[in-house]
Amino acid sequence: MARYHPEDELLLEYAAGRTDWAVSICVAAHLHFCPSCREQVAKFNRIGGHCLEQADKVDVPEDALNSVMAMIRTESRGEKAPNPTKAAPAVKPAFQQLPPVIQKLIPDSGKVRWSFVTPALKAARLETGQDKYEVCFHRIKKGGTVAEHDHNGRELTLVLQGRFSDENGTYSVGDFLMKQPGETHRPTATLDQDCLCLSVQEAPVKLTGLVGRVINPFLRVRPG
Amino acid sequence: MAIAPGSTNIVASTTMREDEWSQLLARLATAGDEGVFARLFRHFAPLVKGFYLSNGGLTPESADELVQEVMVKVWRKAAGFDPRKSSASTWIFTIARNSRIDYLRKHASNEAATSTLESEDIWSEGTDNPPFVYLQQSLDQRDIDILLSELPQEQRECLFKVYLEGKSHADLAEELNLPLGTVKSRIRLGLSRLKSAVNL
Repeated sequence: MARYHPEDELLLEYAAGRTDWAVSICVAAHLHFCPSCREQVAKFNRIGGHCLEQADKVDVPEDALNSVMAMIRTESRGEKAPNPTKAAPAVKPAFQQLPPVIQKLIPDSGKVRWSFVTPALKAARLETGQDKYEVCFHRIKKGGTVAEHDHNGRELTLVLQGRFSDENGTYSVGDFLMKQPGETHRPTATLDQDCLCLSVQEAPVKLTGLVGRVINPFLRVRPG
Repeated sequence: MAIAPGSTNIVASTTMREDEWSQLLARLATAGDEGVFARLFRHFAPLVKGFYLSNGGLTPESADELVQEVMVKVWRKAAGFDPRKSSASTWIFTIARNSRIDYLRKHASNEAATSTLESEDIWSEGTDNPPFVYLQQSLDQRDIDILLSELPQEQRECLFKVYLEGKSHADLAEELNLPLGTVKSRIRLGLSRLKSAVNL
């Protein structure tokens, strides 16, 4: 079970529907691994239910109920109501253990495009329908170390497979880390297997070490 | 049952208690009864509209459009409602929240068109519903209502604004003319009070 969790404030904003799209994806993927945070979100949803119940009623148009009934009748006359759970696309076996929300980010081909960043790190950009954050898979080779870097913006990391450690601890599947601007770290994968992470970066990462020049061009936020 | 516009369940329905709405919604789930749905509609549609208007970002017209979408979903998804897991208002809140997110994304950015995800992939049944073992220790909606109403005003205000007015912590700090740290600590205090009271 995950040992590193999003802060309550972040879960609250998520439950209220206020978190940025890319951040929400990362939180949802953590929830997949973490029953206790799911329970927390369920409670925060109840605060939402309370707020809804306390909202000032505002009249809807007189014919609104009839319009809605007409829509419902049309729908039930036609085909069955659309199945709310879309058929999951065929996903490469390597990704089958991932949270459903992450699987949906993998292209229909079932492949992601890995780019070489350093000998220890490969990255694959994921299309998420937003451009405020760079969302990537990071794969750290077993025993490999990622160059020390700090952050211009927030960086969220969720461990999806394997384990890595940094100055502060060791992180396993489901663990959720948030780095604030100015915080540096130097992740190292454990020796037994490669480590796959979801990385959500608010702004381009700055490299503090010598290899910086190599990584920076890749990790820039896509223009436009 | 046919639906007469302006029919007269309104007086009875506004006096119902929250858990009775949940029972009504559960009845809709099993029976698909149009009369039951009409009562739920008359209660919740104006609440969802009021909720949306205080949220900001929606005109009254788009709020009306979205309210209809939400109520169609209430009908369509009713079979998935489980009164042991959540109250009617919480369940409808999650539908209203998700619908609003998709609506705003669709109307705000071209980026959204390239997305393979919708809000329901992120705020999904799976992530909204804790496993049963946790539910047994959790509170019902009325306990939450009471606890919230007992919070100090300033903490309650900060908590509610996140939901009702679509404020991030940073927006709130600006609006209340308070340092970000103060807003965060009020929210944190509010949450920890809820927690200590109920082992939240």
